[in-house]
Amino acid sequence: MKIFYLIKEGFKNIWTNRMMSLASVIVLVSCLIITGAASLISINVTALISKIGDDDQITVYLDYDLDDLRSIKLGSQLNKIKNIDSYSFFSRDDAIKQYKEVLGSIYESMQDDGNPFGNAYKVKLKDLSQYKKTVDEIKRVEGVSSVSDRSDIAGKLTKLNYFVTIVGSWVVLVLALVTLFIISNTIKMTMYSRRYEISIMKSVGATNSFIRVPFIIEAMVIGLVSGLAAASVICSVYMPVRTAAAGIIGFIGDSTFTVEQIILPTFIAMSVTGILIGLIGGFISIARYLKKEGGEIIGW
Amino acid sequence: MIHLENVSKVYNNGIEALKNISLDIDNGEFVFIVGPSGAGKSTFLKLLIREEKATFGKIIVSGYDLMKIRRSKIPYLRRKMGIVFQDFRLIAKMNVYDNVAFAMRVIGSPEKAIKKRVKEVLNLVELDGKEKRKPNEISGGEQQRVSLARALVNKPDMIIADEPTGNIDPDLSFDIMKLLVEINKTGTTVIIVTHEHDLVKEFGGRIITIEDGEIKSDEKYPTKYHEKEADKK
Repeated sequence: MKIFYLIKEGFKNIWTNRMMSLASVIVLVSCLIITGAASLISINVTALISKIGDDDQITVYLDYDLDDLRSIKLGSQLNKIKNIDSYSFFSRDDAIKQYKEVLGSIYESMQDDGNPFGNAYKVKLKDLSQYKKTVDEIKRVEGVSSVSDRSDIAGKLTKLNYFVTIVGSWVVLVLALVTLFIISNTIKMTMYSRRYEISIMKSVGATNSFIRVPFIIEAMVIGLVSGLAAASVICSVYMPVRTAAAGIIGFIGDSTFTVEQIILPTFIAMSVTGILIGLIGGFISIARYLKKEGGEIIGW
Repeated sequence: MIHLENVSKVYNNGIEALKNISLDIDNGEFVFIVGPSGAGKSTFLKLLIREEKATFGKIIVSGYDLMKIRRSKIPYLRRKMGIVFQDFRLIAKMNVYDNVAFAMRVIGSPEKAIKKRVKEVLNLVELDGKEKRKPNEISGGEQQRVSLARALVNKPDMIIADEPTGNIDPDLSFDIMKLLVEINKTGTTVIIVTHEHDLVKEFGGRIITIEDGEIKSDEKYPTKYHEKEADKK
């Protein structure tokens, strides 16, 4: 098989049906932009949630009477709880120091009754969805007085993460199907406009793969061009959008991906998606068409 | 070369286009298939080129069993035959040369071989000098000759022509038939479906008459044209 001839034919198809190709590229670019944007929002929100999750430490307050030695020994009990990722000792002296720093001059004016704080641990969890269960386990440890309960925040974060992942996946899936439908229709129309040639090709003994290759190349090129165009649009819009969002919510700036971080993955992902969609869409439409024969193709 | 044994074709709509047909066509024969419209001639051709599959019976063409042939092998069967259509089926945007070369390109022939062979066949059908013309710039007779050149270009074992003179003037029809006779003389089997009795009478040969899906007659007539040519010499 003469691959260069077939590739040339594929490009020729695009040029011959340039208006249809352009229309498909425009629609595909729109779909890919939405798909890409949904994916970017999803991964950024996930990153944001993960960042918030990292900051979300539990404070385990120990009994006031527990001296420093016994308090430190209690750490080994926490170590046995599976969902605890890490823990650090926060002594009563650290607590009062922090207290003084926060209150400053107000503290100075207050009457000094000694250190009112007990020792504590700052604990980080592995899985926020098991927050409540883990807090209960911590509470059962002898010497623990109380635990800062932020289960509502943990629950909300988990729910938001879940929501973003599910909704994002559905949006991407639905749009991928839409783009698949568009490209398969474009190829169907191209094949219809070239049905005469296809029927002649069949009558002179062209194999199905020989007939198929130029159309597949056409679909893949349309997919690739659309992917590259969509990636360019996404990357050029990403920075201003991120800056604007960071202006409203400060920590977005630190917790989300920079444009430099997303450029290469976005171009690769969009190009691969475009090519794959072209490949699959092309195969679907051609397979149906190639089952037909001569007069059936032309419609006589 | 072609062997049909008790072949029947019933379409999905219930129409029985061919009924229990049996015949053999040997290498190098010149055969007319005649009969009125709707007799089953086109179905017969479609079965030979495996556009349709027979409902019953056995068909062997160039060694391929058409009842058992795999879909992927059908293109190779078709490379053994050159098909000429009544409506020429030329590609309007391609010139004469490319229309003929197209048949070689789609089976993956090298460009050098294409150039040489296309020149030969265009010379054979007397179209040399018209390579650059588009189909709409030449006459109906010339268009059919392009179609014939395309059918010949891959050196098929047989030419199957479906009403090859149906869309052209009677004078030009005669020229096309003469060309087919010349091609037959090189050993290529020629099967022509037609309802033009004058031409059939003029050229003679083996004439198979199909009516109502059945073979009504299968007779050999004197090949008058061949005799006339011999007399001239």
